Amino acid sequence: MSETFKLPPLEIEEYGLANGLRVVLNPDNSIPVVSIAVYYNVGSRNERDDRTGFAHLFEHMMFQGSENVPKAGHFQHIMKAGGTMNGTTSSERTNYYETLPANQLPLALWLESDRMRSLAVTQENLDNQREAVKEEKRLRYDNQPYGQIFDLINEMIYKNFANSHSTIGSMDHLDAATVEDVQEFFRIYYAPNNAVLVLSGAFETSTAKELVETYFGDIESQPLPPELDVTEPAEVAANYKEWEDKLAPFPAFLIGWKIPPRRSPEFYALYLAGKVLYDGDSSRLYQKLVKGEESVIQLFGFTDERRGPSSIFIGAIPKPEKDLSRIRETIMKEIHDLAAHGPTSEEMEKIENQLINDSVRMRQSSMARAQQIAEFALYDGDPELINSELDALLSVTADHIRHAVGKFLNTENRALLDVVPAGKG
Amino acid sequence: MFLNSFASLQLSVFALRRSDMTPELRKNPPAPLAPVSFDIQKPFETKLDNGLRVVIVENERLPLVSYRLAFESGDINDPDGMTGLTSAMTAMLTEGTENYSSLQLAEKIERLGSSVGASASDDFTIVSASALSLYSSEILHLLAEVVLRPTFPESELDLYRRNTIENLKFQRSQPGFLAGEQSARLVYGEHPYSKVSPTAADIEKIDRETLAKFHSGSFVPNNAMFIVVGDVNRDEFIAELNELFGDWQPGVVNKKAFPEPPKRNSRSLTIVDRPGSAQSNIVITNLGVKRVDPDYFPLIVMNQVLGAGASSRIFMNLREEKGYTYGAYTRLESKRLAGDFEATAEVRSSVTGDSLKEFFYELDRIRSEKVGEDELQDAKNFLTGVFPIRAETQEGLTNLIVNQQLYGLPDDYLQTYRDNINAVTVDEVQRVAVKHIRPDEVAIVIVGDAEEVLPQAREYADSVEIFDTEGVEQDEAKYVVGDSGETADVAGKWKLVIDFQGQQLPVSLKLEQDGECVTGVLETMLGNGKIADGKVSGSKLAATALAEMQGQPIEFVITGKVDGDSMSGTLTAPIVPDPLPFTGTRT
Repeated sequence: MSETFKLPPLEIEEYGLANGLRVVLNPDNSIPVVSIAVYYNVGSRNERDDRTGFAHLFEHMMFQGSENVPKAGHFQHIMKAGGTMNGTTSSERTNYYETLPANQLPLALWLESDRMRSLAVTQENLDNQREAVKEEKRLRYDNQPYGQIFDLINEMIYKNFANSHSTIGSMDHLDAATVEDVQEFFRIYYAPNNAVLVLSGAFETSTAKELVETYFGDIESQPLPPELDVTEPAEVAANYKEWEDKLAPFPAFLIGWKIPPRRSPEFYALYLAGKVLYDGDSSRLYQKLVKGEESVIQLFGFTDERRGPSSIFIGAIPKPEKDLSRIRETIMKEIHDLAAHGPTSEEMEKIENQLINDSVRMRQSSMARAQQIAEFALYDGDPELINSELDALLSVTADHIRHAVGKFLNTENRALLDVVPAGKG
Repeated sequence: MFLNSFASLQLSVFALRRSDMTPELRKNPPAPLAPVSFDIQKPFETKLDNGLRVVIVENERLPLVSYRLAFESGDINDPDGMTGLTSAMTAMLTEGTENYSSLQLAEKIERLGSSVGASASDDFTIVSASALSLYSSEILHLLAEVVLRPTFPESELDLYRRNTIENLKFQRSQPGFLAGEQSARLVYGEHPYSKVSPTAADIEKIDRETLAKFHSGSFVPNNAMFIVVGDVNRDEFIAELNELFGDWQPGVVNKKAFPEPPKRNSRSLTIVDRPGSAQSNIVITNLGVKRVDPDYFPLIVMNQVLGAGASSRIFMNLREEKGYTYGAYTRLESKRLAGDFEATAEVRSSVTGDSLKEFFYELDRIRSEKVGEDELQDAKNFLTGVFPIRAETQEGLTNLIVNQQLYGLPDDYLQTYRDNINAVTVDEVQRVAVKHIRPDEVAIVIVGDAEEVLPQAREYADSVEIFDTEGVEQDEAKYVVGDSGETADVAGKWKLVIDFQGQQLPVSLKLEQDGECVTGVLETMLGNGKIADGKVSGSKLAATALAEMQGQPIEFVITGKVDGDSMSGTLTAPIVPDPLPFTGTRT
């Protein structure tokens, strides 16, 4: 099927400004909208071990105004121009993005460049945002049932502090942050030579280049951030932990495995193994647990893709009175089967079609394209990879999957987090 | 490392350019570029012999196809005494057919990397499928299979009933659901739009035979339209459609006449009591317009100014200026046969009355004064600007076309949408505000602590009724907090201990008192909150401590009973699901 199906490549032009800002243009005039994505090469993995939560704190700070944009001004400007926007922080990077009618490209570049060069890092903004972040930590993690399980499993999988600590950070570190710490963080990480700017959508290339130079050209570059070590031993840091969750109505569990970095052959194979195991109603675990045994309320699985060592999780919330260890046995049995026999040819066909379908759908949205391109530019220095990634995935065979599952999933080298409701541990 | 890879590029075109940026140029937002036109193509329309309408938009942009088979029949067409039947039927379509089991269907659909699903709303039932256009034929076959030949297997139906009943229990713990349940009842009365959910008893009644009979009665081609968007060839598609759906027999379509929603002539207050609730969920609502009403465009522009987003009047007033809430909005719900207007917010309990005051202030203002030209232009800019973004993906475009077709909107509706928005004047905005927002006839619904809410909200309505969360009506007298003896003395410094998830947390309360008014500070580990509007009535203390974090109000609600130098009560905070008990003494 893959021989008969060819996607025309996306048009990609990359270049750099004198100050080191990497720029990638993906013109596409199908719909008169434009998406702008700015990716800064800083994530929680870059944080000092006594200053966790900074990368995420910054995401908040970036909406607090800059020299020429008042507090909350970014959002107001975008809305009044008829656009949408957001930003996110992960272990790997911090990104900011907006989609606007095509003729509003200058507005987006003005807003992004103003905050890149002159973010208002003041004691007042820091105090405000610190409290907002602490509030968010309480609201989304500490006070949600199961809110902490992903942070906990990461601590069990990764030994290297850069990889293991949570993005939201610790209250103590956030409290200890001084305005000088934050200004320094901004100076080092929020520099043009530590960022990628991607434009995707309807624009004239020459106009876009002029505007980018006008708005970003005079921002000074900074010395590169310090080198980062994200190496890991093969073993997970901890095999078992029982966690008492006072807000959880039911018990749950999460199993985590450490796997090789994104874009490695094994990573691709394991990503596809995950699809076979837990993705969709016809997946093995859905059929065995949600249907067959009717033993789970919720089944979930996820591949955490990182530039360094990455991970896969599979978890479940069982129905009341159902036996957790039996559910886990079923999961390991499916993994064992996949390691012994690999996926069936029907499953391979499914994977192939799902990959092509995903790839085609992604192309529709200027924002999806901008984000994907930015990742390849930032992580791999090669935005053209967006045009060859699908082929790389399609070249994974059933045998590759069988082998990778055998080596990395069908093993005792995994972490099991048992979540028990309060008072029942 | 990154700098090196671009070293060579730096020496090309841009090495000699210098940015022409100046501080003056940066000061203000730049002017936009020339606007780019955007046109949505009009569909091709035809009909099969059996009455099935066919709507096709050929679009080769990407090798994808989207199908929607939409029936002009929805939840409101549930037979009497069988609420939930339409929703059950749509959920079960993919759980087994004449030729395939639930698993086989899932495998077939997912093997093509595609999706097939069905859902019901009040007015419509839609079966959708999307796939790579390479598989447009296969997916059409599967769509025909689930629409024409479902079998509603007993074991799958049993699982559906059990899971649905569990969900219903969960629903009644959600204040938003409870508020919606009352609002719908008050606005729509005997009209079936008033039913927001089946009951467990309704679900238990559903059996295979009833589902099958209902399916063959309501799934008829002359009550449906087939909408296709994407990489298809029109003639080939129609030929295939005839092959798969040509034998589908038309049927009798019974269009029920429904009772009209009630006419109101006074303001009512309905409270759903959630004791200890830190917040009041407020809904102020009256009957609005159906989707095809000629006032639709001025109304959506008016709504954008009044309360549709974070720059709107209601939001700026109740959240940004007063700090009563995280979010306050207005909404127009325009369905096929009728619609409603709603103003909503979740506010801290102690400012329920104040919030109502501000809501009515804004509802009166938009009727009595014309909106500013700037405000009008900002609203229009948002609505027209965001339009192409909504149509960017095939899914988005398909949704726009499905709506235009199902509601019977004019042929050029999408093509003239932005012109119609831009044509709205300040006079039109005022006219529709006066006509369709009727503050003297609204229903006020509040889900919150009735004891606290009733005294604050009573004066805003002509009548009041109170329910518990199960929907059982309560006696108003139960909630009237009378003068229970002399006003307690609460001034001074209190050391309290809060039971927080099994931990004992110390907090202190420093209070000053003037008659029944209390001010002061609450000091906790989560921050300090200023108390500006506390009240003592008899031995009861009610106060809200307001802390500010990043311009966002965080409120702690204190409800306490004072006995000499002892106090006990509860503390609520938005970040904590349940009120926290405390005890303490004055030092």
